[in-house]
Amino acid sequence: MRYASLFWEYIKNYAKTRLTYRADFWIEVLSDLLFQGMNLIFILIVFQHTPSLGGWSEAEVVFVYGFFMIPYGVFSTFFSIWNFSERYIVKGEMDRVLTRPAHSLYQVLLENVDPPSLIGSFVGAIIMVLCWTQLGLPFEVWDLLILLLLILGAVLIYAGLYTALSAISFYSDAPTGIVPLMYNIQNYGRYPVNIYNKMIRFVLTWLLPFAFVGVIPASYFLEKKTDDLSQLALFTPVMGIIVFSLGLWLWNHGVKRYRGAGS
Amino acid sequence: MLAIDVKDLRKQFSVQKNREGLSGALKDLFKREYNEVTAVKDISFQIPQGEICGYIGENGAGKSTTIKMLTGILVPTSGELKVNGYVPFKDREKFVNGIGVVFGQRSQLWWDIGVIESFQLLRKVYRVSEADFRKRLNELVERLQLGDLLNRPVRKLSLGQRMRCELVASLLHNPSILFLDEPTIGLDIVVKTEIRDFLLQMNKEQGTTILLTTHDLQDIEALC
Repeated sequence: MRYASLFWEYIKNYAKTRLTYRADFWIEVLSDLLFQGMNLIFILIVFQHTPSLGGWSEAEVVFVYGFFMIPYGVFSTFFSIWNFSERYIVKGEMDRVLTRPAHSLYQVLLENVDPPSLIGSFVGAIIMVLCWTQLGLPFEVWDLLILLLLILGAVLIYAGLYTALSAISFYSDAPTGIVPLMYNIQNYGRYPVNIYNKMIRFVLTWLLPFAFVGVIPASYFLEKKTDDLSQLALFTPVMGIIVFSLGLWLWNHGVKRYRGAGS
Repeated sequence: MLAIDVKDLRKQFSVQKNREGLSGALKDLFKREYNEVTAVKDISFQIPQGEICGYIGENGAGKSTTIKMLTGILVPTSGELKVNGYVPFKDREKFVNGIGVVFGQRSQLWWDIGVIESFQLLRKVYRVSEADFRKRLNELVERLQLGDLLNRPVRKLSLGQRMRCELVASLLHNPSILFLDEPTIGLDIVVKTEIRDFLLQMNKEQGTTILLTTHDLQDIEALC
């Protein structure tokens, strides 16, 4: 309860700071959408050259992309901690966080909330609905509940991976190279994983489970394929809990190794 | 009762050795050597409740490192410490409710929003009731003459003004121990005197234990 009210306070402060720079706010929304749009256009171009990708039709791949955008938007809103290492470790702002009575990760997340990213989730939902009707998929109220559960699981997977990634800064001085690398790898999870070779597929499913953020949960709603990914779909929330717990553990353990900066 | 009880406290950092020149940098890339640097070496001291204590030493003597261990930011390498009845790094979230911390070189406040907004946020973080908060804030604002600063964003404050706001921020939850790391650094003589008087008065009236580091011997003379 207390954490919920804290959340609200931080959002209010976010609004106060950000809304003073109005132009900046809209530019961020626009650039977010443009970035997503580019990815979508890439998919459309690929399908101008081939009718199907590893047995997946254009509408299906776009559907997967639409699904992916929803948890990704939620994740980006609450976990925009790209500059964690720079700001909190190198500059030592973690000192301040650690002298306050709330969980350190929670404080860091709240100090960096980025609500405009949520707009991506809405766009993703619209894309999903459009593809849903185009593909003529059946719809039941039950599906909506499952959808929410899968989204939650996917967000937790992202959250866990990036928490772990940020926590690495507690152990090593400057893990600058890893974040862009991760960023590239995560993009593979939005496409049907069976188009990759076995090795990459294994990595995306079990080691850096980005497939659980896009293609696996989305396949639950699609027609069954020959190598059935949708069997794994309901594992998404379980995977989410496991990955997030690991991330959180790494963080809690890492905080104890924090060394501060200078004076 | 002892406010702070420290026994054989030690903190070591392993610091990377940088070899000289470009060839050295290349060697470092593959094989790194580390030095163990002892920042704080087996210190012991006790501070009873209600004391004002000054902690002096040259630059790099380990003052800040000690303060950071006492406030639960850093985990000591070895030794025992107990502050306010807690082991700081173990029950961090409970422990920090009872302490206030001011780092002279670093701001606690949110840069872009009005000072009062930062205070409101801290009120929520420390779970201070609205009535207590108002009462305490009014006292502090009056005592430190902050009236017309409260609505200004922190980035538009002078150093002296900011420092006084930092003090208020660290005291809103009425802590029983206050840690100050070089609170008077860079301040003019008027603000320094004002802050010293304020600390003395608070110590006398509320019995707040104060531990401060400083390079200014007049701080020590006036307070301890």
